[in-house]
Amino acid sequence: MSAAAPQPLANMGAPEPRMDGRAKVTGEARYPSDMPVSNPAFAFLVTSAIAKGRINAIDQMRARAVPGVLDIFTHENTGDLKEIKFASGGAGASTSIQQLGPEVFHDGQIIAMVVADTFEAAREAAYALKVDYAEAPAAPSFDSPGVETEDVTQLHDSAKDIPSVGDVEAALAGADVVVDAQYGTPTQHHNPIELFTTTCVWNGDRLTVHEPSQFMYGLKNNVARKLDVGPEQVRTISHFVGGAFGSKAQLTPRTGLVAFAARKLHRPVKLVATRDQGFTIATYRAETRHRIRLGARRDGKLVGYEHEGFEITSRPDKYFVAGVEDAARLYAYGAVKTKVNIVHADRNTPGFMRSPPVVPYIYAIETAMDELAAKLGMDPVEFRRVNDTTTDPISGKPYSSRSLMQCYDQAAAAFRWMARDPHPGSMRDGDWLIGWGCATAVYPTHFGSATARVRLLANGDVRVQTAAHDLGTGAYTVIGQMAAERLGVPFSAVKTELGDSELPPASVAGGSNTTASCCSAVMKACHAIRAKLFHAAATANEGPLAGQQISGLTLRDGKVAAEGAEEPLAETFKRLGVGAIEEYAESAPPGAPADAIASLYAGKPTLSGGAHGKKLMYAFGAEFVEVRVHKDTCEIRVPRAVGAFAGGRIMNTRTAHSQLMGGMIWGISSALHEATEIDPVRARYVNDNLADYLVPVNADVQAVDVILVPEVDPDVNPAGVKGLGELGNVGTAAAVSNAVYHATGRRIRQLPIRLEKLL
Amino acid sequence: MSNNRASFTPSRRKFLMTTASSAAGPVIARAFTGEARAQSAPRNQREPVGVRLEVNGHVQDLSLDVRTTLLDALREHLGLTGSKKGCDQGQCGACTVLVDGRRVLGCLTLAASVDGRSITTIEGLTSPGQELHPMQQAFVDQDAFQCGYCTSGQIMSAIGCVHEGHAENDADIREYMSGNLCRCAAYPNIVAAIKQAKAATQSRLASKET
Ligand code: FES
Ligand code: FES
Repeated sequence: MSAAAPQPLANMGAPEPRMDGRAKVTGEARYPSDMPVSNPAFAFLVTSAIAKGRINAIDQMRARAVPGVLDIFTHENTGDLKEIKFASGGAGASTSIQQLGPEVFHDGQIIAMVVADTFEAAREAAYALKVDYAEAPAAPSFDSPGVETEDVTQLHDSAKDIPSVGDVEAALAGADVVVDAQYGTPTQHHNPIELFTTTCVWNGDRLTVHEPSQFMYGLKNNVARKLDVGPEQVRTISHFVGGAFGSKAQLTPRTGLVAFAARKLHRPVKLVATRDQGFTIATYRAETRHRIRLGARRDGKLVGYEHEGFEITSRPDKYFVAGVEDAARLYAYGAVKTKVNIVHADRNTPGFMRSPPVVPYIYAIETAMDELAAKLGMDPVEFRRVNDTTTDPISGKPYSSRSLMQCYDQAAAAFRWMARDPHPGSMRDGDWLIGWGCATAVYPTHFGSATARVRLLANGDVRVQTAAHDLGTGAYTVIGQMAAERLGVPFSAVKTELGDSELPPASVAGGSNTTASCCSAVMKACHAIRAKLFHAAATANEGPLAGQQISGLTLRDGKVAAEGAEEPLAETFKRLGVGAIEEYAESAPPGAPADAIASLYAGKPTLSGGAHGKKLMYAFGAEFVEVRVHKDTCEIRVPRAVGAFAGGRIMNTRTAHSQLMGGMIWGISSALHEATEIDPVRARYVNDNLADYLVPVNADVQAVDVILVPEVDPDVNPAGVKGLGELGNVGTAAAVSNAVYHATGRRIRQLPIRLEKLL
Repeated sequence: MSNNRASFTPSRRKFLMTTASSAAGPVIARAFTGEARAQSAPRNQREPVGVRLEVNGHVQDLSLDVRTTLLDALREHLGLTGSKKGCDQGQCGACTVLVDGRRVLGCLTLAASVDGRSITTIEGLTSPGQELHPMQQAFVDQDAFQCGYCTSGQIMSAIGCVHEGHAENDADIREYMSGNLCRCAAYPNIVAAIKQAKAATQSRLASKET
């Protein structure tokens, strides 16, 4: 065991090395743009140089003259592509802005695509296109004249239950201490290292799309609608995804265009969009603003919480995350009032980015909690203990499990929090001011519709198939572990196949539902295999298990076994007269509509959990961060961070550790590094590359300790699993910001906290 | 093609002539046009250029658009897709390969500029069914990746880092591996992997293996 592969505790699975590990370290893992296709033509996108206006004309003369150019696609010759309405959650397109013009809705909108024999020629021709625009003034952000604000509760059914309870005005009027503050989070881009790529190959009227995707069946069905062909004609393949973080969950405008070009040219077409194009042809995390009023009694009991959020979206689309839904359930607040507004600006449409609803909202409330604790003169951990709850402050429903304070206690002990001097600016090491801060991590536990096929051979080999995704989460591995456990074979005997729409459908890899949803479907399929084997062994006329109670049988070590008796699998297969047993199973969350699986086949996922069931289902964690701020230069460093997390059953301590560690680093990054800057006049992204959009490099990261806290929760789903992929980066930004306050006495309420804000 | 090589080590002069005579890319064109045009008859800049690379021990003769990067030559012309394109502008390190044993960004290197050189890619570290290179094994053991997209570049860079003597302590490793971004943020595990594989990687170098 090592730091990377922690010793499993109760309800935790072995740290098996990743099933896809060898493929990934040898370069054999084929990501979609690595798939060999015969004689591809290469595409290069042309994107809008203005943020708002119209294309008057596109002069293609010089571009068409570039040797090797095959065709140029613009709004004038792509009208056959159908419109698909924007829809959140993978069921539709990521944006309603799909036409290539003549209207321009945002900077970097795709307005043309050049296809040529070589990548070099396509790029040359793309640069040679001359576009004549009529530019209109654009409104890029909150304070720009011309943006439009809407209250989301007026828009969507799903937003109607924006949480509120009691009389907040009265509660705050009666509070001993009140914090009234505004917070802001910037635009952020996922920037997975894999670029946005699409390769389309037609074989007769059948289309194969190689595109990194978090949702094979969503992509398949939406591409079919886009091209007006039957979904059975479209196959989508994405065995590996080079990072997604929410950016590859929906249909974006490029896919239909590449497929359209490949059909017209009778040739495979391969597109690898550039890094800067990636900022505008997919989604991003919306800029947000928050106003919070939070009040408590002198003894630390909260009495009232008001939270109003503002989120940027595009002109046509009503994308919002409304994280108040989760923030409002975090503590025993007393009275609660929340509201969320969207602000339509001249931007591309935002979308999910790792832990979409909670990241900005929990940053805001967890900073406000720290401010209130400081005003009360209370230890921030004790302040949370006083306001811990086992029931929903809004509805009174119980939490299915909630190990928040266990997480706080374990992380605090590992961090040595007791040595903290609470006074800001009191801890020093030479020229460095030291600050210690903490915050809560929380993420709704989602359970989605999923299907799986499992095959057990007489020799004990197992194959598991589901069209889920391993975005680096460890899905190949943990899904395989579940099958190995249920079928009593070694992990090495299992092969998991994912990422292909020819496999049975699984939900969108979003909301951290994959492990729970797929493992539950795999368990069901394995259960059916077990039942067949047990029946055959127990009802045989002879043999060691003949006449045994079926309920007393199990599978272990490649054998059907009972107390004191067993027979090899091969024997039981002989009794059945078959060489393999294959079972297909469907699993849908409780309360899902009867057609949930049919919908999944049609590309519509069903997710439940969070605040929506009979019990509240959430995973929790506690994060502690040390910052060092240089007394003269205000340079900020994070020498150590400790997070303790409880996520129900942990399938694999190695992959769980990596996800949470990566998440915490994401959180540190969002606190100190990341922000997409937008030109306030031209409404164009300024730092649209990896040198100017700051993400942590190796030298930015020091000790990051992850503690896995044992937790058992049979209510969340049959697998007992709470998702972890999005938990780790929730709360981290607040912990960093609270630590900066402790170091300096300065409360910075707008992320990222860069040194100029402290000077 | 005009390049008819007898030996595998082209002279500097030959390299310059190859580049200049087929200059079409904007950067090279600016550097050489005047001189080259003055010295030799203009030729069709769009004519493919012949490039010979020794990739993972195999000699490969390619006929390429002169603007083709080493990364695209490997990926699109040789089918070696282990090296990844994460930015195509020298900012992420996903395309890191070894050229004559030194780490180089494949996306910032024109294939024609490494004509005659020896290239090692991730595919060259082991073969299917064979034992992994100690650095590869260490990346598996330490879970030094998640999505795996930066991993080929990280591993090639890690080997280069050890060869350069820049893996003496954690701080050095972090600093000298900072040209390789990992958005999944496997950084602490990457440092652990390099520490695990350092000695074995050094002893392979001593026995002239990558
Ligand atoms: S692809 Fe070469 S550095 Fe990013
Ligand atoms: S493993 Fe995903 S970018 Fe490094």
